[in-house]
Amino acid sequence: MNRRDFFKKTGMITAGTVAAPYILPTGRMFARTNAPKAEYVVMVMFAGGVRQQESVLQRYLDDSQEVTGAAGNIMPNLLTGIAPDRKIVYGTDPGGGATRGSKPIPRILSQSMEDTGTLFKEMSAISAGHYVGLKTLITGSLGTAQGLKTRPKYPTIFEYLRKHAGFAALDTWFIANGLGNSTPLLNSSKNEDYGLQYGGNMFAAPYTFGGVGREILGNGKPYSRADLDPMYYMKNFLDQSFGLNPDQLETIKNTDEEKTKIKEFIRAVFQRQNQGLIPRPPVTDNFDAVTISYAAEVLRHFKPKFLTLNMNAVDGCHSNFTGYLRSLHRADHSVGWLWNYIQNNIPEMSGKTIMIIAPECGRNLKPNPILDENDWYAFDHSDANAMRVWSIMVGKNVPKMTVGSESNKVGKLTDIVPTIADIFGVYDEVKSSQYLDPQSKSLFLRM
Amino acid sequence: MNMHSSGKIITFIFSLFLLLAGCTKEKNLTYGAADKVVYEDKSQKTKRKSDAEYISILYTNLHQVSISPTQLHKIQNVIYSLGDRNVANEMVLSNYFNTSTLKIPKDSEMRGDVAVFVEKCYKRFFLRYPSEGEKTFFINYINSNPNVSVEMVYTAFSVSDEYQYY
Repeated sequence: MNRRDFFKKTGMITAGTVAAPYILPTGRMFARTNAPKAEYVVMVMFAGGVRQQESVLQRYLDDSQEVTGAAGNIMPNLLTGIAPDRKIVYGTDPGGGATRGSKPIPRILSQSMEDTGTLFKEMSAISAGHYVGLKTLITGSLGTAQGLKTRPKYPTIFEYLRKHAGFAALDTWFIANGLGNSTPLLNSSKNEDYGLQYGGNMFAAPYTFGGVGREILGNGKPYSRADLDPMYYMKNFLDQSFGLNPDQLETIKNTDEEKTKIKEFIRAVFQRQNQGLIPRPPVTDNFDAVTISYAAEVLRHFKPKFLTLNMNAVDGCHSNFTGYLRSLHRADHSVGWLWNYIQNNIPEMSGKTIMIIAPECGRNLKPNPILDENDWYAFDHSDANAMRVWSIMVGKNVPKMTVGSESNKVGKLTDIVPTIADIFGVYDEVKSSQYLDPQSKSLFLRM
Repeated sequence: MNMHSSGKIITFIFSLFLLLAGCTKEKNLTYGAADKVVYEDKSQKTKRKSDAEYISILYTNLHQVSISPTQLHKIQNVIYSLGDRNVANEMVLSNYFNTSTLKIPKDSEMRGDVAVFVEKCYKRFFLRYPSEGEKTFFINYINSNPNVSVEMVYTAFSVSDEYQYY
């Protein structure tokens, strides 16, 4: 070997040694194309169809029940504004014969998220329905012809992050609040370029950790590492022998070690339930608050880089407007509590997290004829008003500002996925996947 | 005897001959089939069991009785509530192994004749015989690892990919 060859080969070996740890499953050399804005993201799919009028417009009963002088803000943790002072029914019951719900839940955050982050006041939904709305938030795509009981057609944010940012399965979580429709299938698409091998982990919290979950999962044997190793060794031999193709996968893939960690977590949750140690918002009287509690448990335990959760108690608005107001107030309370919990109880995530909150769809302008206990009309979601939504971002590197107004729409729900990709520094890769709404863009670019 | 009478006799005799010639004794035949158990071929297992089928078959396999509809519904919902079905299946299984109603061989029976145990495992879970390679792997693995129990082997089979298919 002459001197020239020696330097050439030595240089190549050195370059390979340096680059090898950064080569991703995609074949890309480096995962990130721009600097990450935060280390963690929590996305809240809020909360089952929310009217602009009772949320960002703070109209309370004024734009719904033909009441005048009863406007005000019933979401004090998310929004800035004075609470209504008439006909208060959305709080807790003070007892003693006082009006039911007449005691508003005290605000948890010292400052509202609107005061500390960015509010996109008037955005466009892609559909007036729940499932397509959730799917839009998860995939950033436009497809609206989605069947029920099927996985999304286009890749989810979990798959984008795992494939392009190199996140492990335990880094990405979806906390669902039920088993209805196809909600538990939102943790991954079966897209041929991405698919279940890149899917996120998921708990439908009220079932996994409820009474039935406890009965079925809580009595399992706590196998030691010495027990599990031979089991997985034999299983892996059997699986290799059977030779399943990746396109035949029906579930997401965790490594043996990750599976063991999930099982240990489930067992630990049941133990913490026994000891009364599960953190809860002060008012926990619906499934949304339960879902938030277990989202906090997952955040505390795994500190995942990305977690999303859905809430849907607000959807009771189809037949009960009073219940809707209560659920909306409680959704605000629970999300405020979660943000506070992250800042004060998870030091690894405190100051390094961005929370994004957005409804999956709005609700109608005109009511249906169903009356509730207060003789107030209920609202469905199918008209143009149901396509009006908002979003709030708060946390690291998020400026304090309001973008857009009732007469100036800025942003679409398909912007959420590219925004998350932007936060994690893989914006270009995700945008170039060709599966996103072509007009979508990071909300940071719409400020 | 006139011609008319003799014609009748000839006709009678001819008819009798035809009758006797047309009837033969019926043979008493019995058909049968030799005993032959038909096993599956793993290459032909292309249909994935539904969650309900998986849970139901697994329960019957391990308990030797059918699962109740209520229990089936409960387990199905819990499995559906976890993103990784393998984690859910493994936890359901470990729950079964914590009950006293399980009908599985003792470890001593497995150790008594490992080759027979392995063959029975393949027939019980996969409805087929093991290949020579599969059989050799398990015999060697079980023999060289004294801590391997029936429970461990059954768990490996129950949560394997092949057991999800038929």
